[in-house]
Amino acid sequence: MHSPPQGQVARPAEVTAVVAFHEVSKWYGNVIGINKLSLEIRPGVTGLLGPNGAGKSTLLQLATGQLRPSQGTVRVLGEEPWNHAALNRRIGLCPEQDAFYEWMTGWDFVYTCARLSGMTRRDAHGSAQEAIAAVGMIGKERRAIRGYSRGMRQRIKLAQTLVHRPDVLFLDEPLTGTDPVARRDLMDIIQRLGREGKSVLVSSHVLHEVQSLTPNIVLINRGRLVAEGHVRQIRDLIDQHPHQIVVECRAYRQLAGRMLAWDDVEGVRVLESGRGVMVETRSPDAFYSRLPALSLEDGLAIEAVYSDDDNLEAVFKYLVNG
Amino acid sequence: MTTPAAATSESSHAASTTGAATARTGYAFSRFGALWTLFALTLRQHVRGKRWMIMGVLFLLPAGLAILIRSTTNEIYTVVPEFLLAWMFIPQVLLPLVALVYASGIIQDEQEEQTITYLLMRPTPKWAIYLVKLAATLVTTSVLVALFTAITYAAIFVGIDYSADNAAKTIDLAAATDRCLTTIGIHVLAVVAYSSLFGFLSIITRRTLVIGILYIALIEGITANMPFGIRLGTVIYYTRLIAYRAMDFVIQHRMGRVENLSAEAWQFDLKKDPHLLEHPDTATCLKTLLIASAAFAVLAAWQCARREFHVKTPEKE
Repeated sequence: MHSPPQGQVARPAEVTAVVAFHEVSKWYGNVIGINKLSLEIRPGVTGLLGPNGAGKSTLLQLATGQLRPSQGTVRVLGEEPWNHAALNRRIGLCPEQDAFYEWMTGWDFVYTCARLSGMTRRDAHGSAQEAIAAVGMIGKERRAIRGYSRGMRQRIKLAQTLVHRPDVLFLDEPLTGTDPVARRDLMDIIQRLGREGKSVLVSSHVLHEVQSLTPNIVLINRGRLVAEGHVRQIRDLIDQHPHQIVVECRAYRQLAGRMLAWDDVEGVRVLESGRGVMVETRSPDAFYSRLPALSLEDGLAIEAVYSDDDNLEAVFKYLVNG
Repeated sequence: MTTPAAATSESSHAASTTGAATARTGYAFSRFGALWTLFALTLRQHVRGKRWMIMGVLFLLPAGLAILIRSTTNEIYTVVPEFLLAWMFIPQVLLPLVALVYASGIIQDEQEEQTITYLLMRPTPKWAIYLVKLAATLVTTSVLVALFTAITYAAIFVGIDYSADNAAKTIDLAAATDRCLTTIGIHVLAVVAYSSLFGFLSIITRRTLVIGILYIALIEGITANMPFGIRLGTVIYYTRLIAYRAMDFVIQHRMGRVENLSAEAWQFDLKKDPHLLEHPDTATCLKTLLIASAAFAVLAAWQCARREFHVKTPEKE
């Protein structure tokens, strides 16, 4: 098996892989998407971490059979996913792109996906109801998707992933662009799925998001496996660097004032766009944990929170170079 | 390391057969239900889109021209606007255009709107996705063609003077209805052939619209109107042959002169071959169009099954 330079913690060998990549490469013409990657994902929630362009989406598309490996073999639940439509009854993908049949209502979208999965009308009806309830969209499901907020769109996208009750879930950046409340809710849902026995591979370019979901992390960069194992070791590396977090909020001056009072915040800079602030902190966990309360209690309408890639990139460089 | 083979045998998840997958998913699987939903989804997309409105406006042009002609003169033979509008303008321009506009988007629309993932992640093979969406496209284009061809015929024939004085210049409404139904049948056949062809093109190239328009202009527009064997490779040639044999576009002038509009316009040399024996018969024309349509559909489905469909992700953008 591939041995990453650092950050790897061996997991029990007797636990069987749900997803297995063996010497997989994927080229787009002359561009390498995935480079000789060997990896095994075991049951439970696993975080797939890497900066933008690392190959996370390619890896997920290979695992869900949308792409054919140029080299090597991919197996999901023991079967090769490429051109294996029947396997799609047991796997679900929440794609990264914010694309929908905008004219549909949330209910219509999830129900249609259930019917496309081959469910009878009755099963589809019940299952769509369950999936919509699971993502907390009851009461909003009859509205047109085009009128949904980003958080609602992510939730309904997750509902279509769950509607045919798959065993293995692939979630591609499910928290991107969501406000702190939606983010916390989505994290709860993902963790609950793990507890319910689903195998979940969730990709992100923000370590702290993934860390809140699972201690099992796979790090990839430039199409290569950089490290896999327990988050603690990776955190140790990343915490040596100040962490930069962008918080978008119209009342950014008020927000900056509140944040500067927090001990772990080392600096706050107003973005040139005037749409928010860039915060520098060495305790991102504590920082993230305070955001929902700030948004709810202080009435500061935080529109988006995301971490800049630079720090993560630095850790990748460190890991790759040893 | 656990090998993939071992993973198959050991994992509680790793049911290696489709049958096992069926058992584990916990719901009764309805293949027909999935395909029907995809068919209905595609029809809904067509109804929601703006294409049918644009095509509707274009298709109303011949009807508008017919009304214009009727309002300016009573001296015209009805076969003339019928031939020019329903048998020159519609087949030469509108039929291939409507087929191109709809068939080029069978898969490309889903790809551009990034919704194709929702289809690819379902237990329907890619070739079946293509064929079902093609079937829905054929229904949409056929309904559009039938509807607007009927409107064109109505604009030409409804309310016309059917008195004996005008008998030489027109036909009665029952005969006009027969001709309208025959025309609709042939037009639907043509639009099916065009849709299958352009659907295939859309699977092998992303420049379907450009190539399609060039095809319509150069192949169907120019070579089909030349009296050479090369026109055997066009859709319009076969539809014209069927129409020529099923309908007549002949004017009996008062002085006894007979004018055959279709033979002249479609380059059929009646002096040399008065019964068109050198051309394929109607059954051969029908078979050619249907077999070609089926062949393009199968080729496209086969190509679709082998292809990867990339969607733009924020990373790639």
